[in-house]
Amino acid sequence: MPSRAHIQQAFSAAVPVMLGYVAIGIPCGILCDSIGLDALQALLMSIVFYSGAGQFMVPNMYLTGAPAASIIASVSFVNSRQMLYSAYFAPFAEGVSKRVAFLFAATVTDESYGVSAARFQEGDWSIGRALMVNLFSQSSWALSNFFGVLIGAAIGIPLNIAAFAMTSIFICLLVTQKMTSANIVAAVVAMIGVYVCKLAGLGGPAILIGAVAGVAVALVYCTLRERAVAQKGSSR
Amino acid sequence: MSWGEFWVILVGCSITILVCRVLPLFLLKGRELPAWATRALGLIPAAAFAALVANDLLAPGMFAQGLWPAAIPLIVAAVVVVVALATRSLLWCAVTGVAVYALLLLI
Repeated sequence: MPSRAHIQQAFSAAVPVMLGYVAIGIPCGILCDSIGLDALQALLMSIVFYSGAGQFMVPNMYLTGAPAASIIASVSFVNSRQMLYSAYFAPFAEGVSKRVAFLFAATVTDESYGVSAARFQEGDWSIGRALMVNLFSQSSWALSNFFGVLIGAAIGIPLNIAAFAMTSIFICLLVTQKMTSANIVAAVVAMIGVYVCKLAGLGGPAILIGAVAGVAVALVYCTLRERAVAQKGSSR
Repeated sequence: MSWGEFWVILVGCSITILVCRVLPLFLLKGRELPAWATRALGLIPAAAFAALVANDLLAPGMFAQGLWPAAIPLIVAAVVVVVALATRSLLWCAVTGVAVYALLLLI
């Protein structure tokens, strides 16, 4: 059993994500209601699939008359960025039981990844606490979707405003990164990459392609810098 | 949407996201990674957050409907950056972001 102190740490780390999920989970439930999903279906989606972007895409694409196969393909493409998070956590999952590692990996989202990645960078953090952050966040998301369907369109929350809670969380996580030159190169290239992908009509995988481009260019930058330093050293 | 369609979409989407979420962690876990790979993993957060922010804020043709509607999210983002640097708090950033956005839309 996790200690009381760890549960408290995980909960306070999860609170911003949980509140953000209420803000976008209720509109997501309302959208699901509009295509005739009931509260149980919204709850099932949130437990089994658990993807904010994905659960918005399904009703949106369904409304435009997209066939199931094309919905699945597009949603999967958008969610491919999860591979990066999974790879990032691998070194921290050493020595963790298979069951816990699986449950943790299966419940990572953009936001819970952000929170736990920041804590791992600071040091004192574990897969167990990260898993609790995931489960707190997922509970908030699932309940918000459930109630969103129940209240349906009775209340109107402007989605663009609610969604900015998530954007704000990402901005905070970005600017609190260590401002090393390699990180700055990675971030700038990733942003340009996302924009170029969208220009080319590749909106679906834009996040994955942009982020991978950022990491790749920053790696090349680090290698070139090391070579320059080595040359300087040997010419003296 | 019928229950039949619902199951197809739910199972289809869930399988692919589960593979993306679980497989890399189990493939890389407990392995001695080469130095460049460790460095690449360390660069993921900055690149991923930047990509997520850019995905939310930037779109081709965003200024097509005039300067002001597209400028609002960028102005709010700038305010959130200041709050983030000052407080380093996710909660304050989320609250500020939503509040300032709502305020600017009212103007």
